[in-house]
Amino acid sequence: MTAQNVKLIGRYALAASAVAISMFPFVWMARTSVAARESIVVDGLSPVPSSYDLSNYARAWQNADLGTAMLNGAMVTCGILILQLLTCVPAAFALAKGRFRGRSFVFYVVLACLLVPAEATALPLFLGISQLGLADTQTALILPFATSAFGIFMLRQHMVTIPDALLDAARADGLGIVATLRRVVVPASMPAITTFAVFSVFIHWNDYLWPLLVARDPELRTPPMALALFQQSDTGQDFGALAAGAVIITLPIVSLFLLVQRRFIAGVAGGELPG
Amino acid sequence: MKGLRHSAHHPRGRPESPAKNPVPPGRRREAATAYALVAPAMVLLTAFVLVPGLLAFVAALFRVDLISGSPWTWVGLDNFRAILADPAVQRSIVNTLLYCAITIVPSLAIGLALALLATSIGRGRTLVQTLLFLPFAANLVAMAVVFRYIYGFRGGFVNQVFAVIGIGPVNFLGDPALALPTIATVGIWRASALAMIMYLAGLTSVPTAIHEACAADGITGFTKLRRVLLPLLRPVTVLVTVLMVMQGVQVFDTVNVLTQGGPRGTSETVLTMTWRLGFVYFDLGRGAALCVLVLVTLIAVGIFRRRTLGEGSR
Repeated sequence: MTAQNVKLIGRYALAASAVAISMFPFVWMARTSVAARESIVVDGLSPVPSSYDLSNYARAWQNADLGTAMLNGAMVTCGILILQLLTCVPAAFALAKGRFRGRSFVFYVVLACLLVPAEATALPLFLGISQLGLADTQTALILPFATSAFGIFMLRQHMVTIPDALLDAARADGLGIVATLRRVVVPASMPAITTFAVFSVFIHWNDYLWPLLVARDPELRTPPMALALFQQSDTGQDFGALAAGAVIITLPIVSLFLLVQRRFIAGVAGGELPG
Repeated sequence: MKGLRHSAHHPRGRPESPAKNPVPPGRRREAATAYALVAPAMVLLTAFVLVPGLLAFVAALFRVDLISGSPWTWVGLDNFRAILADPAVQRSIVNTLLYCAITIVPSLAIGLALALLATSIGRGRTLVQTLLFLPFAANLVAMAVVFRYIYGFRGGFVNQVFAVIGIGPVNFLGDPALALPTIATVGIWRASALAMIMYLAGLTSVPTAIHEACAADGITGFTKLRRVLLPLLRPVTVLVTVLMVMQGVQVFDTVNVLTQGGPRGTSETVLTMTWRLGFVYFDLGRGAALCVLVLVTLIAVGIFRRRTLGEGSR
């Protein structure tokens, strides 16, 4: 065995242990979610539980009312995404290619909004929402995020690079503004739109603070909220069901990540991180 | 073509004076369309970002009682004086700074080490990178629930390991001295993944010529890292640090799930404190005052971020 090989094996061993450490909470979560109650603590150090109990999932689903929460979470996340795309894409296009008075002012407003993080304004936003009588409605979970300064900014940066000749050709073909957006601008900025959509889904599926403030109604709980409340109500230390609940709400988002990881990672690496 | 050239010269769309340049009807229609395109977004941004931001500054000057619903009473800067004199708020501010201090350096160091490790292997690099990034992609509340049991006093994983090597059970989340550092380890676990991805991007953009020059001069290992790579990666380090400060100031999910600010306020952070002032003590005026402090801090950091990193690209 050459020194080169030893070095290479050493590197892989190091990488494997780094992965093992960073993945440990996921492995522990998965293991506990299928372990029988007595097997969680007694042989808690073995990676494979001595006895299995899949009813953890049924208990989590029922006791945390995850069915309602997942459906509500999906509706809120999709609602926000659709509204954001409908408002951000046209605004970004106008800022990138439109000619109108006050364009730089509008752009500065977007830049200013980019500096205001949602978490820090949650309390006054709640004050406003409850004044409008919207507290405890699904509207309150969706409407405040119906547009995104981050989305407008990011899409605008990409749309600036669309060649003007392409837009002139669309105009020469008699395409109206809506048709131009749909048939020319959206396809040309698909990578940016996808990256933004992925970020949006991640942020709003995982959001915890805002739903915690406005959603008192059990019907309006989002997945993270339902899990956190399930944990706070758990007196019997039902580790198995909690881990199962954590798996249930993590699975959709981790699957989505694995599906779009290239775009997600490229976006983060490029510094396009909201907040 | 005249219009196109104009837009190329003034990418930011400098407003032109109508006296010098009478607006042709086609241009006017185009402007009307553009206003229609930006209007929905502008209305929503104003209603849900700018107004709440301003409302924080306004509400901070009043006594706002959510329970009695009585009208707001002007109190001037009393709310600011009150929160700054409140030991609980002071502790939440100190805790937030401590949290940032504990998380940033280890996350940068671990992230850089992981990135160097990932670049040093050829086959399977994408897989390693994906797996190492998973902590950042996962649901933070779910992971906090998992960590709560990993750090559990009775039957928690870490204490099971400690029992095997003969260390008595440690009350990670219940010990006033340990609660905040324990929460910070979750922050490090997650932020390292972010730092790793950004350092990885930085490392892959180092020109091959530099690696060749180092090899020719016999500069390797730690010397190369310290003298060559780290200076080159400085912009990445600054960006990651700024992002971590912003996330550290806004830490909420993990604290809320792991300790709810306890024991005895020793892990309270500014956002959990805002939440407590507003929704446990129903003192929205003071809550808003603390919001203002958080907002001003984050806006200052945000301006620094856009300034140093170029508002165009980042």
